[in-house]
Order: sequence, then structure tokens, then C-alpha cells
Amino acid sequence: MFEQEDDIVERVIQQLRRPVAIDPAMDARVMQAITALRPSQRRVWPWVAAAALLGAVMFWRPWSRGSDAERPDILQFVLVAPHANSVSLVGDFNDWDPKRSPMRTANGIWATVVQLAPGRYRYAFLVNGVEWRADPGAPTALDDEFGTPSSVVTVGGKGS
Amino acid sequence: MILAVLLIVAQIGAQDPRLDRLDPDTRAQVTVVVDSARRVGLPAEPLIQRALEGATKGAPGPRIVTAVRRLSTDLGTARAALGDEASAPELEAGVAALRAGATPQVLANLHGVRRPPLTMALSVLADLVASGVPADSAAAAVLALAPKARDADLVEFRRTVERDIALGAPPAAATSTRVNAGAVDIYSAGSNPGPARPRRP
Repeated sequence: MFEQEDDIVERVIQQLRRPVAIDPAMDARVMQAITALRPSQRRVWPWVAAAALLGAVMFWRPWSRGSDAERPDILQFVLVAPHANSVSLVGDFNDWDPKRSPMRTANGIWATVVQLAPGRYRYAFLVNGVEWRADPGAPTALDDEFGTPSSVVTVGGKGS
Repeated sequence: MILAVLLIVAQIGAQDPRLDRLDPDTRAQVTVVVDSARRVGLPAEPLIQRALEGATKGAPGPRIVTAVRRLSTDLGTARAALGDEASAPELEAGVAALRAGATPQVLANLHGVRRPPLTMALSVLADLVASGVPADSAAAAVLALAPKARDADLVEFRRTVERDIALGAPPAAATSTRVNAGAVDIYSAGSNPGPARPRRP
């Protein structure tokens, strides 16, 4: 039984060892196929280049690297109001909407942080929803036309 | 007739929805001022913000309209002094300086001696006056420092003068003293801003 199997294996080996006749035109056909692929490869390269360019643009963000004069600044607004139940920061930067910048308190010190683009902004604190207070640590707005105090903050460029 | 209806519809469509916080009469009058300002190339946002400030503070409609009209006029005056290329923040700061007592000529002079943006220089001028410094002293100080001082130097100058005034120095004297001392500091100081962290107004 084992001898029979050995014969079969031997025959298979013999078959595999037989020289195979290869078409002499095979090389030419392979090269032709490769050449036929090239145009589609060329079409890919512009996309690869565009993707690389997009990646570079996203990484360097040239639109946010404008002049310093256009760079926003982060400001912290603080009011000491130990007896207040709520304090909101309202001003030119949030459409004077008390809901937009509610302040958080820790032991009566109310604070919030706002990012502002360069410019001059009028603002005030609204305490308990009814009482207007200017910022004691900032310049006063001279042109108070509505009968309540306001302060001003100026965000400048060029390393202010 | 159709054209008139279209114009009205277009105007309603162009109205800033933020102005809905105003009563209809006030909103209509403010919209007219804002549209007029836009037509002559003045920034509309400061006018809208002034109207919203009035609305939030519960000011009567006529007072809001007056404030917005006055601001529009002053923005025009500031632009005439600072030039057509002045930015909206510069014009707003220019209005603050004018209302503090600076003349249009002071604004024009500042425009001549300092590279833009002039926002901080104009603001410092207005803020000095708010601290009690006479307008002509404040203008002279800012004009003296403007050619070479950075924005940060001008802010520091203002804070120093305010501190001196709080300690009892006469405002004009405090300003002139600090201009002389500040000129030395400004031209010799390094510019190490330190680590970035939220700053106070």
C-alpha cells in the first residue's frame, strides 16, 4: 500500500520536473501589460500631490498665522461679589446677552474666560439679573449713554 | 408697486435678527441708521452692539436711536481723520478718543506717526482721560510714545499712570513724568512676554 503511494508521489515529482515550454512572446506581453497600467498610475499622482498639499495646509494653518494684529487674546474677567446669586458678563463680544457668558463662583469670586479678537469692547457685569456693575479693575467707558456703568477692554495686536 | 414690495421684502430680509430684541419702532429706526452706515462703508457691527446694549440695559427706544445715530456720526468723523483704510476696531477706538476730548487732528497726527493698527494707542488715550488725565496731556503723551512704543508698552504706561493717580499724584503730572521715564523704558526694555495665560482687562 505504501509502495503504491510512493509511486504516485514519484510520478508527480517526475511531472513537476518536466521542462515547461514558455511562450517566447511572454516577456513582451508582460511589458505591454505594465505599459498599459502607467496612464492610470499617472492619474493617481495629482491626487496624491493634492492630498499632500492639503495635509500641509491643515498642519501649518496659514489662515491662523496671519499678522499678530489679527490674533485673538484670552482674557479673564473677575468680579468679587460675595452676596451675589448670579453674575453674567455682557458686552460687545456677546451681543449683550446675559445667557451667553454666565460666570462661575468660588467663595464669592466670580470669573469667566473669554477669547477676544483685537478691538475695543464695552462690557459690564450683570449681578442677580438686575444690577449693573462696571469692572473695578478696568478703564471706565466714558460715553455711558444708557445710565448704567460700563467698562472697556482693548485687545491689541503686536504683542499686547 | 411690485418694486416697492420687493424692496421692503429685501429690507426685512436684510435686517439683523439680533435687532429683534428692540421694539418694532426702535428696530426700524436703528435699521435705517445701520443701513445708511453700511452704504457709506462704515462698520455696522458697533452700531448693532450699541443698540443691543441699550436693549439689554432697558433704555427707552428714543435714547437707543440717539445713541446709535451719534455713534454713526462719530465713526464717520473718526474715519475722516484716520483714513479710509482704517479698520473697524480702529474706528471704534477713534470714536472713544474723540469722545474723550481728542481732536480729529490728534487722530490724524497719530495716524501719521504710528504704523497701524492704531487701536491700542487710541484706546490708551481715551482710557487715560477716563482716569482723570486732561485730554490734551493724554494726547501729547500718546503722540510722544506712539512712534516706537509697542501696544504692550502703551498698556503698561496707562497702568503705571493710573497707579500713580490712585496713589495721589496729579493726573497731568503723573502722565508727563511717566512719559519721560517711559520713553527710556520703552526704548531699552526687552520684549519677554512670559508664559501665555489669560490676562486681565
